[in-house]
Amino acid sequence: MAAMSLLLRAAAVWGARRAASSTRLPWLVGVARLPGTVAPVRHSSSHGKRMFIIKATSFYDTRFLNLLRFYIFLTAIPAALFITYVNIFIGEAELAEIPEGYTPDYWEYYKHPISRWIARYLLDPPEKDYEKEMALLDVEAKKTQLRLMQLEARRLMRQRGDGPWYHYETPDKNLVDNSMKSTPDN
Amino acid sequence: MPEDRDWEAYKVPPTRTPVSEKTPSVLNPVSFIETVFKYVIDAPVTFVREWIERQQAKNKFYYYHQKFRRVPDLSECLEDDYLCFFEAEAQWKRDRMVDQEIVEIIRERLGACKQREGPNQFQNCAKEAEQLLQVTKAYQDRYGDLGVHGNARTCLMKQKHRMMEERKAQADASQET
Repeated sequence: MAAMSLLLRAAAVWGARRAASSTRLPWLVGVARLPGTVAPVRHSSSHGKRMFIIKATSFYDTRFLNLLRFYIFLTAIPAALFITYVNIFIGEAELAEIPEGYTPDYWEYYKHPISRWIARYLLDPPEKDYEKEMALLDVEAKKTQLRLMQLEARRLMRQRGDGPWYHYETPDKNLVDNSMKSTPDN
Repeated sequence: MPEDRDWEAYKVPPTRTPVSEKTPSVLNPVSFIETVFKYVIDAPVTFVREWIERQQAKNKFYYYHQKFRRVPDLSECLEDDYLCFFEAEAQWKRDRMVDQEIVEIIRERLGACKQREGPNQFQNCAKEAEQLLQVTKAYQDRYGDLGVHGNARTCLMKQKHRMMEERKAQADASQET
C-alpha cells in the first residue's frame, strides 16, 4: 500500500510536469505540483496562489517505511561491517592436500572463516551427528524387533494356551449350585 | 569453487600472430585507452587487492577435502541391519555426488575444447565428445531413471535388473549359436 501510494504520487508528479511543460509559464515548469494545485496570480513572485491541497494522508506510509528502514539497517549495517572486516582482514582458507599422518579437525573442512567458526563452536561434529542418527535408528530397530516378537508370542500363547497370557477368570466350581440338576425328576 | 580448479588443463595454445616492430606516426587509440585503463582502474584495484592479500597473509589457514572411509555396501548388509543400511545409503549418496561432478568435469572439458578450437571443433574434439558420450551413458545406466526418491536400494534393484537382462541376452545369444 505504501509502495502503491508512492507509485501514484510519482505518476501524478510526472503528469503535472508533462502538462506544465507544454502550456504553462516557464518558471512553473520545473516545480513539482499535483494537478490542479497551481493557479497563476498577478502579484506573487513565483509561487502562484497558495492552495490548501486536500490529499490522502501519507503519514502511515512514511512512518511504516521509516520504521522498516530503521529496523532492517539496525542489524544489517553492523552485520555487513563485520562480514566485510572478516573477508578483508581474515580472508578465506586455502585448499591444501591433507598432510601425511595428520587428521584435520572437523571444522577445517570449511572455507569461509565464519563457517569454520560456526562449525567449531555452535554445531556438533558431523561424526557426532552421524552417531546420534544411528543411535535413533538403533533404538527404533530394536523397538520394531521387540514388537514383532511380542506379536509372535501373543499368537503362540493364544494358539497353544500354555503361556501366562490369555487366562480368563472363571468362577470357582465350588460356587456352582447343582441343586437343580442333582435329582433326575426336578 | 571455480577458483580452486586447475586451469592448466584448459590451456590455450600460444597464438602465432607476428610481433610488429614499426611504430606508426598516428597515436593508436587502442593503446591510449589501454594506458588510461591501466592507470585509472587497473592500478588502484591491484593496489587494494595486494594490500588485502598482505593483511590476509599474516595468518594463513587451510581447508581440506574430507576423505571418507569405505563402509560395507548395501549388497553386503545383512537383513534387518538398519545401521548398515544407513551407512551404505550415506556412502551411496556421496558416490552419486562424486559421479555427478565427474560428468560435469567431462562436460566442461568438451566445452573448453570447443571454445579453444573454434571452427575446427567437429574434427579436433572427437576424443572429448566420445568420452562424454561414454560417461553419460554409464551415469544413465547406473543412476538414470531412479527419480528424485532414488536411494541405494532402488539403485541396487536397477543393477539386479540390468544383470538379469544381460544374462538373458547372453543365454539367448548362446542358444541361437
